[in-house]
Amino acid sequence: MGKDKIYNRRDFLESGMRLSLALAVGAVGGMAIGKATTEDWVWQIDPFACTQCGRCADECVLSPSAVKCVHAFDLCGYCDLCGGYLIPGANEISTGAENQLCPTSAIQRKYIEDPYFEYIINEELCIGCAKCVKGCASFGNGSLHLQIKHSLCKNCNECSIARLCPSDAIKRVPASSPYLVKGGFVEPAGS
Amino acid sequence: MQTATKHNLFLLAPLIGALAVLAWWLAFDPSRHFEVNVPGMDNRPDSTAALEEVAIGEHFQRFSTAFTSMPESWPRFRGAGFDNICKSDIRLLDKFSPSGPKVLWTKELGEGHAGAAIYEGAVYVLDYDEEARADMLRCFELKTGKELWRRWHNINLKRNHGLSRTIPAVNEKYILAIGPAGHVMCLSRPTGDLLWGLDISRAYDSEIPFWYTGQCPLLDGEEAILATGGKALLVGVDCASGEVLWETPNEKGWKMSHSSIMPFEFKGMKMYVYSAVGGVAGIAAEGPDKGKVLWATAQWNHSVVAPSPVCLPDGRIFLSAGYGAGSMFLQLKEKDGAFEVEVLAEYKPKDGLSSEQQTPIYYDGYLYGILPKDAGTLRNELVCVHPDNIRQVVWSSGKPNRFGLGPYMIADNKLYILDDHAVLTIVNPSQTRYEQLDQVQLFDGFDAWAPFALADGYLILRDSRKMICIDLRA
Repeated sequence: MGKDKIYNRRDFLESGMRLSLALAVGAVGGMAIGKATTEDWVWQIDPFACTQCGRCADECVLSPSAVKCVHAFDLCGYCDLCGGYLIPGANEISTGAENQLCPTSAIQRKYIEDPYFEYIINEELCIGCAKCVKGCASFGNGSLHLQIKHSLCKNCNECSIARLCPSDAIKRVPASSPYLVKGGFVEPAGS
Repeated sequence: MQTATKHNLFLLAPLIGALAVLAWWLAFDPSRHFEVNVPGMDNRPDSTAALEEVAIGEHFQRFSTAFTSMPESWPRFRGAGFDNICKSDIRLLDKFSPSGPKVLWTKELGEGHAGAAIYEGAVYVLDYDEEARADMLRCFELKTGKELWRRWHNINLKRNHGLSRTIPAVNEKYILAIGPAGHVMCLSRPTGDLLWGLDISRAYDSEIPFWYTGQCPLLDGEEAILATGGKALLVGVDCASGEVLWETPNEKGWKMSHSSIMPFEFKGMKMYVYSAVGGVAGIAAEGPDKGKVLWATAQWNHSVVAPSPVCLPDGRIFLSAGYGAGSMFLQLKEKDGAFEVEVLAEYKPKDGLSSEQQTPIYYDGYLYGILPKDAGTLRNELVCVHPDNIRQVVWSSGKPNRFGLGPYMIADNKLYILDDHAVLTIVNPSQTRYEQLDQVQLFDGFDAWAPFALADGYLILRDSRKMICIDLRA
């Protein structure tokens, strides 16, 4: 009952087309997978290595700098006397400009309940000078720290801040995890 | 006529234009989007909430009366001599075994930085029980950690970098403790009975410092000496009756600090030296003028003062404070029974011996202390200085040997230091170089800041949540 199949020219062309299509789909898929798995790199600040030298404000190719202060709220003590907000020896603990450490008043202070105050960074005003970070590190929990904001950063191949950073705190990190935020980022052993 | 009108129009048009530009320039405010930063933008309420009524020391529970009495004591903050130097003859470890020192007992405590006092085999700790919401003075047996009794009152407090942070003062007859919100309890030491209580805030309209009371109370014989701020600077209270015996007027409105009152005798005059928020003063501690101000200066004025004054035998007084304040060195002088102080030095933390929290130790002619985090390249290092040149560091522990805000003391001619993470280091208190003898991680600690207590070779220390007793005997 069996009947030998005879391939004619039409069958041959159809098979060839199918094979070509499968190869093309496979190639495109392979390229897509390759693209997705190839790691890109971006610049970021290791907050545990940063020494708050202030160069981030001046050396970035952008003005104001792409470096901004971020606040790890889970580390903050919510203190009334905040070393990141107030200048040392402030006349009084208030929101008066003369008492604020930040030169651009980029930190907003709000009373929550006795004795807690919340500190929120206004990114538009922040110039990345690290004065607040230094104050917070010296007298507080170190919850204020600097990060390069990738919505602003040009990701220069030769980051001008990284070249000058005295503590080599700016390094390339995978674009898939572009931030080294305190609280969610563990201090490297021995740093 | 028409030509003249045209000429006038030609002249008038630029003039009108110039006036319009001038008007625009005058009306334009380039800073119109600026926000003026003035006090009060943080919604801080005008006044704080009403003070809570507290029935001081109303509750008591005894667990046991049996405990092993022991000969030595560490009866208060900085020990019997107020110098943080243990004078015992017991030989102590200068090297740990591979497994570390023997831990005799461990106690879980409410979050805080309150250290212990030890009196003849009993340990007294002011705890805050977060579940019961209570200031709780607890008594343990030194050898075993067995709880003997507790006395407490209920008070609602919120965590604010810890809760309890003061060390009771103990003598043969009394126990004196101050709670985080300024509630003083005076108890009978043999029985734990409440003798009297005092709510400092209510009685003296005083302000409790940031992060709660840090002042460790002083027992001077039959008197409780307390720095209240507000309506008085210092007060003396009869321990037996609770009667206020004297009050030092506070005309300048100085406030209570975290610093503790240090007794000092100079040129035959006993005095209490107190570093308040507002200034530093010496108060007569004897005679008919007891409680009167002998000398005072407002040149030492910082918003947060935690270290206590270090009084040297020659009348020099070392003062230090954190938050960028730095230090001041005074010379106390006496002439015809009158006292005055001269400022010998004043400097920022990076320019000499300075401290944020612990009080430096004067030992064998030198001062030892750990610099604060804002002390530049020497931050968190142990340093040794000579009082003749307090800005000149004789030696420092070096970059690999940074400590923190933890305690340090001298015992058996060794310096014991605890860092923030409960690493215990033994150092030879050399006058020429840093010489580390040994180091051990006692446990995975956090904010291990409470001052040490040491008696009979048993060292009590704690981090924010846990207190341990270790056998330090060699």
